[in-house]
Amino acid sequence: MLSFLGYAMRRTFRNMRGNLFPNLTAIATIGISLLIFSSFSLIAFNLASLLKVWEEKFEAIAYLKRGISLDEVEELLKRIRQLDGVETVNYISPFDAMAFMEERLGGQKNLLEGIQPAILPSSIEIRLKKDYWGRTKIEEIVSGLEGVPQIEEIQYGQEWIETFSVIVKLARVTQWILGGLLLAAIIFIISNTLQLTISSRKEEIEAMQMSGASPAFIQIPYYMEGFFQGLLGACMAAGLLFLLYQVVLVAITPLMKGWLAGIPILFLPWETIARILLGGMVLGLFGSFLASMRFLRYGR
Amino acid sequence: MIQMFSISKTYPSRITVLSDLHLEIQAGEFVFVAGPSGSGKSTLLRILFGAEKPSSGEVIVNGIRLTRPGFKKIHRLRRTMGIISPDFKLLENRNVMENVAFPLEVKGHAPNEIEGKVSGALRRVGLQQREKDSILSLSAGEKQQVVVARALVDDPQLLLADEPTGVLDNRMTEEMMEIFSELHQKGTTIVFATQDTSLVQRYPHRMIPLSAGGRGVVEQSEGV
Repeated sequence: MLSFLGYAMRRTFRNMRGNLFPNLTAIATIGISLLIFSSFSLIAFNLASLLKVWEEKFEAIAYLKRGISLDEVEELLKRIRQLDGVETVNYISPFDAMAFMEERLGGQKNLLEGIQPAILPSSIEIRLKKDYWGRTKIEEIVSGLEGVPQIEEIQYGQEWIETFSVIVKLARVTQWILGGLLLAAIIFIISNTLQLTISSRKEEIEAMQMSGASPAFIQIPYYMEGFFQGLLGACMAAGLLFLLYQVVLVAITPLMKGWLAGIPILFLPWETIARILLGGMVLGLFGSFLASMRFLRYGR
Repeated sequence: MIQMFSISKTYPSRITVLSDLHLEIQAGEFVFVAGPSGSGKSTLLRILFGAEKPSSGEVIVNGIRLTRPGFKKIHRLRRTMGIISPDFKLLENRNVMENVAFPLEVKGHAPNEIEGKVSGALRRVGLQQREKDSILSLSAGEKQQVVVARALVDDPQLLLADEPTGVLDNRMTEEMMEIFSELHQKGTTIVFATQDTSLVQRYPHRMIPLSAGGRGVVEQSEGV
């Protein structure tokens, strides 16, 4: 068995060397196809993790009317703290809001020169307990505050989060539709590359058949060839994806960093990378199986 | 060893090469299948090693019914055969020794065993000096010798030889026939297809005549 595997490996690599250009083309095409698919996976993965972080930072902001006294603010803070589901309450004065904006703008904070903090409204940040992160709960709290005369407006970003969820779902659907199309293309490419290999080895295959080689003995090196094409293509895709990820990390602007509010851009977890590699191998095997069914029929 | 019952072969182009052929060859027998071009000699041999399927009839080789529907173990039978085809089927990217070693490699023989058997087979056909030479450097006659060495290398139970002397001169033909005779004496069954009637007459083996146009076997006679 081991000697057969050694023989099959030697034949596989000889076949691949003998048809180097078609093999490299197949590996590159598989690599690029899987790169497109895994790029969408990476985007969807990061959007989903961003969504999760936002959901976890879930808070409502109540903007206050102008001219309300500090006593009224104190009263209001006390009232909000007593509401069910409220974890913390934080008053943001116009000066705090200005300082926050300056911090966010970093080197570009001179854009705010000449702007008086007084033009910014004061607000109250209301952070909710984890059990209250759902839409229904937050709406209950918000509706309880809506009648308060000192509050101008309440924003809690629910619509934004819902829109974002739709974007994440769309990215996932696109990923799988594209994945399906690319999958068919990969199988087609591998099958056709192996057809070329099989044609160029026709004499050898006939000689094997005449000598009594079993169908498995003849077919296994071609299965292995498809397997290696898929594996190498998938490795190439994973490598390029990591490179692309590093480029995005380096190229990202400070403004973008500010927008992301310290949320890291993540690489795909190793389980997903392992699945991509496994997918490449399975696709390779399947493509070679199809080629073998079409072109390696025994005898007759 | 070989039984054929009412074998007919008609190609999709509607050309009938074999028609209602009955034949029985005993184990250890040496038979000539003789007839002109187009009489179905090659087809008959190809049916015997399962490269062709007859249009009708039954074929039994070594107790295995090749015509059984769904029969898929032809490779097992071929392992007991030596096959010589007129178009050589040699691998041009391998040298003489590698070509002869090929069936042994396929059957999974150990490297030292392969070496011994290959040297023996090349010695038998007189090509031991050329074992490292490329196939492309050989004459047609030498290629035929390599094909014979490849067919003999694993001491087959059944040798199916299609025009094995077709490209050989008289001297080499005699040498080749001597090799076949030795093999026959050791107990190998030999089915030798040829259109050379003088060759058939020189050797005292049974002849199965095929007539042109696929009219099948009309008689079986002993050579002189």
